[in-house]
Amino acid sequence: MKNMYSHRFQSVEEIQDEFEKGGYICSKEIATCLYIAYNLQKPMMVEGPAGVGKTEMAKTTAEILGVPLIRLQCYEGLDESKALYEWKYGKQLLYTQLLKEKLNDFMGDAETMEESMAVLHSKEDLFFSEDFLEPRPLFKALKEKAGCVLLIDEVDKSDHEFEAFLLEILSEFQVSIPEIGTLTADVKPFVFLTSNNNREMSDALKRRCLHLNVPYPEADLERRILNSRVPELSENLQKNLVDFIHKLRDMDLKKAPSISETIDWARVLVLLHAEELDKEFVETTLNTVLKFEDDIEAVNEQLDSLLESVHSAE
Amino acid sequence: MQAVLEDFLKAVRSHDITVSSAESIEAGHTFELIGFESREILKYALSATLAKNLEERESFSKCFDGFFSFESFKERTEQAEEKKQIEQELGEYQGDSELVKMMLAKDQVALSNKMKKAAREIGITDIWFFTQKGIYSQKIMKQMGSAQIGEEIAALSGGTCPTAMAQANQLRQVRKTLQSEVQGFVEQQLSIYGANTNKRLREEFLTNARLSNIERRDFHRMHEIVRKMAKRMSDTYSKKRKQTQRGQLDFRKTMRKNVAYDGVPFETFWRTKNVDKPKIVAICDVSGSVSDYSRFLLLFLYSLKDVLSRIDSFAFSSSLVDVNTIFEDYAVEQAIEVALKEGGGGSTDYGQTFMDLKRDRLENSNNLLNIDNKTSVIILGDARNNYGDPRTDILKLVYQRAKRVIWLNPEPKISWNTGDSEMDKYRPYCHLVSECSTIKQLNNMIDDLLKVSFA
Repeated sequence: MKNMYSHRFQSVEEIQDEFEKGGYICSKEIATCLYIAYNLQKPMMVEGPAGVGKTEMAKTTAEILGVPLIRLQCYEGLDESKALYEWKYGKQLLYTQLLKEKLNDFMGDAETMEESMAVLHSKEDLFFSEDFLEPRPLFKALKEKAGCVLLIDEVDKSDHEFEAFLLEILSEFQVSIPEIGTLTADVKPFVFLTSNNNREMSDALKRRCLHLNVPYPEADLERRILNSRVPELSENLQKNLVDFIHKLRDMDLKKAPSISETIDWARVLVLLHAEELDKEFVETTLNTVLKFEDDIEAVNEQLDSLLESVHSAE
Repeated sequence: MQAVLEDFLKAVRSHDITVSSAESIEAGHTFELIGFESREILKYALSATLAKNLEERESFSKCFDGFFSFESFKERTEQAEEKKQIEQELGEYQGDSELVKMMLAKDQVALSNKMKKAAREIGITDIWFFTQKGIYSQKIMKQMGSAQIGEEIAALSGGTCPTAMAQANQLRQVRKTLQSEVQGFVEQQLSIYGANTNKRLREEFLTNARLSNIERRDFHRMHEIVRKMAKRMSDTYSKKRKQTQRGQLDFRKTMRKNVAYDGVPFETFWRTKNVDKPKIVAICDVSGSVSDYSRFLLLFLYSLKDVLSRIDSFAFSSSLVDVNTIFEDYAVEQAIEVALKEGGGGSTDYGQTFMDLKRDRLENSNNLLNIDNKTSVIILGDARNNYGDPRTDILKLVYQRAKRVIWLNPEPKISWNTGDSEMDKYRPYCHLVSECSTIKQLNNMIDDLLKVSFA
């Protein structure tokens, strides 16, 4: 059977190239991790601050492999009925209502109670068949014939119970539905779990995953990312921008800017036809990079010295 | 390869990274997949399979670099030139035994392999303590055949021929080099396989030692131990809290949602129950009589504060000092120094302290801060009141209001009520009085406390 694991990704370098073509610049470490995750078919737990491209990584993988991306966003209180499947109660009810009138024909010449029950028994599974099943992300991922990329986002926000439930899926790639039976994936999905380290995951879950930590990128890598995402930006401006962002990350801020903020800011620069990173411009657009009022104030206070150090580094 | 992997996993384990057998298999697959071609990629790959968090990644990186380093038998350049001269003078002496030949030919790879083989044969991976270095070096030397060098030296220096004498000297030099290489190697192996044995033993000792016997220099380790314990507790605590979140059926919301189903409540909504928010008020004696303990008690409070934000901490000797802001503002060591300075110094006065407590936490104008039936009060102190008025009436009041009052006394039970200790007077107004002189006891106590207050 043709599936996403057939003859692709022969080496780490190949992954780097492919991802670069897909617009995702990954370091050697990320590429290595993707390589073994792909070849050993293991789930990958990606950790790191918000906005460094954890979700983007899964998206790009799906694009490159040419399979759908199925995403499950975790939150407190997420349970099986939201993550795996649910019965379409409304449809079931509606059908029973509609069928009420047909009931006589259907029962035919069943006279006694026993006979009627026997007729019913022969049909009852109709209402608990896949037609009445509302598939949720995990169910969909297992059903996908050609495989898929399954992204379980912010798994650290889910409850302990849900985490335990994930274990069955992640180790066996199968799940049991009481009314229907056990569902096993034909092709194992490529699973990404992302976590912001809100809480420590259980050892059992950790054991089943490969671990990758994505930190803020080095200046060099970040420039390459900018180059691929916002190619219109002039080289000089790009350098200043990245230097400035790195300076910000060294400061004690509530939320340090991530790659996604860098890209946003670069787009703003291009949109406003900015020629250089001057004080006025930074002051007016700083809110694209920093999300807290306190942070903006703190940076504004030191803006002169920050800009000076950035420009003098040229 | 199998052997290398096994040794490596052993090394990884000794760096405090747990590796289950399933993970070893996984590591084996990774090895097969990646191979030895690129050291960098292999490191990333194994790190992804074995290390589970940031801390582990760091120790893994250290372990990997140590394990896969090939520095042995490298020639120091300046020595090499000198040697060349000597060699020319000495002419051709090839040596008899294999080892001597290798040494003379300076076959780095062969020597290194031979040493590693010898090391494996004698079981170097079991090395634990620095005291074992000597014996392991000797064993490796012997296994490599150092006895033969000795024989050859003896044979050469037997006669009177000057060339033979010089050659014997050269061999002595060779033996010395070999020895220092082996020693270096053993040292490195110890740092790989025995990395954390000392630490582990020390930690075990510290958990069970009386707080008063622990020295200042162990403070960092204590902090680490205490932090771990506090973390574990907070994990249990947060789990308990979640379980109580389902409450009554929200009838209106359920009906509205289920109109579509003919009013049959397929989908139910629950009124979330108000989460019971337990509070802890901790009061810690920092006076002279408990100065041996107070540092660690404060450390414990500080670590608890890290994980349980709802802990309200005070220090006192002659009067009560709120240390919450100090704990928030300073790093741990500084915070403790400041707390000791602000709270300590005076002679213990439980009476005054209780009066302050009454003012701040029983009759505070902000009712939220006051002790109520959800509050657990922990008092850490030796109850030595310098024969002052114990003011048991206030403690009684606290006892009546709070959910629990717990007194943890760092003194051994036998010295309670001797001298100025008022333990017996306070005891009736505490739900629990317990001796707590080691970190382990302290931990068990707090564990019990959390179980009760958060159940």
